Amino acid sequence: MRRLLTVLLMLGACSLVQAQKGTPADMVHVKGGTFVPLYGSNNQAISVQGFIMDKYPVTNAQYEAFVAENPKWKKSEVKQLFADAGYLKHWATDMGVGSNADKLKDSPVINVSWFAAKAYCECQGKRLPTVNEWEFAALASETKKDASSEPSFYQRSLDWYSQPNPKYLPPVQNAFKNYYGLYGMIGLVWEWTSDFNSALIIGESRQNASLDRQLFCGAGSSGASDVKNYVAFMRYAFRSSLKANYTVANLGFRCVQDVPVKSTAKL
Amino acid sequence: MKRYTLYFLALAATVFSSCQQDVAQEEDSCCAKPVAADQLPAGTGTLAIPTGAMTDMSLYNLESDWQNQRGEAVKLQDLQGKVQLVAMIYTHCSYACPRIVADLKRIESCLKEFKRDDIGIVLVTMDPARDTPERLNAFATSNSLDAKRWVLLTSEQDNIRELAALLNMKYKTELDGEISHSNIISVLNAQGEIIHQAEGLGVEPDETVNAIKGLLQKI
Repeated sequence: MRRLLTVLLMLGACSLVQAQKGTPADMVHVKGGTFVPLYGSNNQAISVQGFIMDKYPVTNAQYEAFVAENPKWKKSEVKQLFADAGYLKHWATDMGVGSNADKLKDSPVINVSWFAAKAYCECQGKRLPTVNEWEFAALASETKKDASSEPSFYQRSLDWYSQPNPKYLPPVQNAFKNYYGLYGMIGLVWEWTSDFNSALIIGESRQNASLDRQLFCGAGSSGASDVKNYVAFMRYAFRSSLKANYTVANLGFRCVQDVPVKSTAKL
Repeated sequence: MKRYTLYFLALAATVFSSCQQDVAQEEDSCCAKPVAADQLPAGTGTLAIPTGAMTDMSLYNLESDWQNQRGEAVKLQDLQGKVQLVAMIYTHCSYACPRIVADLKRIESCLKEFKRDDIGIVLVTMDPARDTPERLNAFATSNSLDAKRWVLLTSEQDNIRELAALLNMKYKTELDGEISHSNIISVLNAQGEIIHQAEGLGVEPDETVNAIKGLLQKI
């Protein structure tokens, strides 16, 4: 029984530490709002609660620290169920990027599976963003929260998509910074979301999808709210092609947290 | 007492969901090292114990907590040792889910020659907010599902999404509360590895039945 209490106290301590932090220095507050997602809402605006998001995608250096603490996420020890054979293949050793550390330590970590990304975030007391949260935050240009009506904003993504991956991904701090102070939402790497497996837009959906038939009849893109929005379509299509243990050479992640509930009473 | 402790822990884990994986682990390195079994608080069962005998591709590597239709706390590991047919449903569903249950029953009817104990059928809800254990139990009764064979499971949304990811299931809750989802029946071997999947509704059961027979002959 005493042990149980200790455990509960530890849990309590953990959550208190997080609650007191407010918005940590390396995260920003994304105020809630509404937006029309590309898929699945029949052009209705959906609302997104405010959340706190990492400024940068998780870097190789940060992921090295995580692996050092959690050996089961080493390349040599990870279960195939949770990460495929390409897991961290850009790392020279089990523990890190190795000799390219100076070039890569502040670059986004890639070749990580959804399970790995999820475990990382959980260990920071955070979680992966939902598709809606991510897309909502990614709508911002440098100066506007919602740049969805600006052709130049989409052009930025198109230009990025049309370029091959660089040999060494640049440091996260050098990436495009948007209205919220989030770096690299566009132009650096693609990012995992918690419910990536909510996108049903590939061929299989014509056979399997049960209810939202209007979404899947015809071509895959006919359900799109803005057919001009090829950019977001690419993201949804990419997500729908993923499996949770896949690792991809331009797919990283960042974490989010709920906005702490302000309470007047102390626990 | 043990039982209450377990519920209490489950509750605590829910409340502090960010630390959910970390019950009985060190404070500052949240997910660090598993604690030896004898150091665990009473009643925590297999929590955080490394799964020694588990194969790399076993779905039972997931350590999440679940509840069955009788409201009992279960682990996916408890499904070990039998061939399991697994599908995901939600009970408010009017179109696809009754059909997938019908498909499973068709498969079940093709397996009469085998002992009931060797094969289990698992339905996992995608709608934990509405599918309480009571609701799942009512669904099992109204569909005359053999309680010795069928297990209906619910958990937290995160755990369900994680299992869905492993079953290659995609689903999405629409604004009207309906869930768009793929329809997949998976066959797991006794170790919890996926050995066969049938996608779609009204698929001829032959291939799935053959896959199961193949496994049962090995046992």
